Amino acid sequence: MSVKSGNASIRDRTQEFLGIAERVKKSVSPQNGPTSSGSKREEPPRPAMAMQSEFNRRASKIGFGIHQTSQKLAKLAKLAKRTSVFDDPTMEIQELTAVIKQDITALNSAVVDLQYLSNSRNESGNISSDTTTHSTTVVDDLKNRLMSATKEFKEVLTMRTENLKVHENRRQLFSSSASQNPSNPFVRQRPLAAKSAASNSAAPPLPWANGAQSSSQLFPKNQMDGESQPLLQQQQNQQQQQMVPLQDSYMQSRAEALQNVESTIHELSNIFNQLATLVSQQGEIAIRIDENMDDTLANVEGAQGALLKYLNSISSNWWLMIKIFFVLMFFLMIFLFFVA
Amino acid sequence: MVKITALMVLKCTPEGADPVILANASDLSSFGFFQRPSVKEFIVFVGRTVARRTPPGQRQSVQHEEYKVHSYNQNGLCALGFMDDHYPVRSAFSLLNKVLDEYQKNFGDSWKTVEADNSQQWPYLSEALTKFQDPAEADKLLKIQRELDETKIILHKTIDSVLARGEKLDSLVEKSSDLSAASQMFYKQAKKTNQCCTIL
Repeated sequence: MSVKSGNASIRDRTQEFLGIAERVKKSVSPQNGPTSSGSKREEPPRPAMAMQSEFNRRASKIGFGIHQTSQKLAKLAKLAKRTSVFDDPTMEIQELTAVIKQDITALNSAVVDLQYLSNSRNESGNISSDTTTHSTTVVDDLKNRLMSATKEFKEVLTMRTENLKVHENRRQLFSSSASQNPSNPFVRQRPLAAKSAASNSAAPPLPWANGAQSSSQLFPKNQMDGESQPLLQQQQNQQQQQMVPLQDSYMQSRAEALQNVESTIHELSNIFNQLATLVSQQGEIAIRIDENMDDTLANVEGAQGALLKYLNSISSNWWLMIKIFFVLMFFLMIFLFFVA
Repeated sequence: MVKITALMVLKCTPEGADPVILANASDLSSFGFFQRPSVKEFIVFVGRTVARRTPPGQRQSVQHEEYKVHSYNQNGLCALGFMDDHYPVRSAFSLLNKVLDEYQKNFGDSWKTVEADNSQQWPYLSEALTKFQDPAEADKLLKIQRELDETKIILHKTIDSVLARGEKLDSLVEKSSDLSAASQMFYKQAKKTNQCCTIL
């Protein structure tokens, strides 16, 4: 009957109440045999007490369950916030989500039962209005707490979906061809989720993935029109459960091959552009070389003409010869003059 | 390397009965001479089983020992290929598509009435078996991808040689500018010697 550690707001003070009531009784009516009245008086309260304690026990259990669920929810929120691009604890998050969902549904049904129990008790037994208000208050409190826990759960799931979207975008920024892969788990889940209608724990990510999936599935080619019809038919048939992933993987491999080809062609066009740039730059260099050679040719020709003139002037200048003759004569004179 | 061991075309009746073999071509050169009949039986049996289990309009790949059997059922006409693990799945299925189209072209709808196993050889199938040992032949996508990769390699080499050419052009332009400077000096010297020695 005593409440466990977590939820201490529901305390069982029945014993104290009974003790006070007995004392009051003893002080008010001492003439009645204490035992018989005590025993008689204890009889009616006991079933009521039993039911009250039953009520309290269940209420305390529910409260404890809600507390545990909110703790798990906090852990899930931390996990969902923590996810980085590469180290994604998807499995844990999904397991935790499933567990929390089960807990919440169980707690919900337990609260409904509790409310039913308190209502039935209120109608059957002769209980004071205090007890009635107490039980209704307790039930309302539990319901409020459960609702807030459910709301938190939904918020955590939306946050997780947004995180996944952000990661998807970042992954697409860095690698164009790896964009197929993140949607693969959702591809597998989509036909499986369509078959197993209810109780799929990854329900929130799925509606988001459905939109992205249809575009990438419509992407490939001719045979796909013929196969998309049987694909829809296969979804109903449990036996074909292996076929659908195979069809999907076939189409996806074709889509992937096409994307590879397209990206290769883009790279090739890049390479050609760079080649063109390089060649045009080198063309300009070649023109400069040509100009330099022309300048050199002009210079050398001019120099050759000048030298030719010089040669002419040297070879045919008789005036120069007379000057040389006179200089020779002059030195001869001086030499003869000094020696003789 | 990658190898196709057998190709088969069968007619698949919707329920129950065994599919009827319409054409069969196999390359059993890798098995010993005495194993060949049993391998052929094995191929026929596995082919029938797989074809029976493939629903119409579906593709299926079954791993059997070291072979992968790919089957494609197109409205009752089923094509099967026995390939090893390295053969890319996509090329396998595109090959099966081609075989089926060719069969439809050649034989029209006459296959629908065939009830007994057809033991004649269909030459197209045997040539297909030899031609498509290389998966690139069957799958155009693979071929295109391969050619594009070769082109990319060639382009890389081209760019390398263009860069080398650029370097040589740079050295040439240096030398030519030096040459033009030297010739200019030469011209000036020649003019100078011509001008100043007229007195003497």
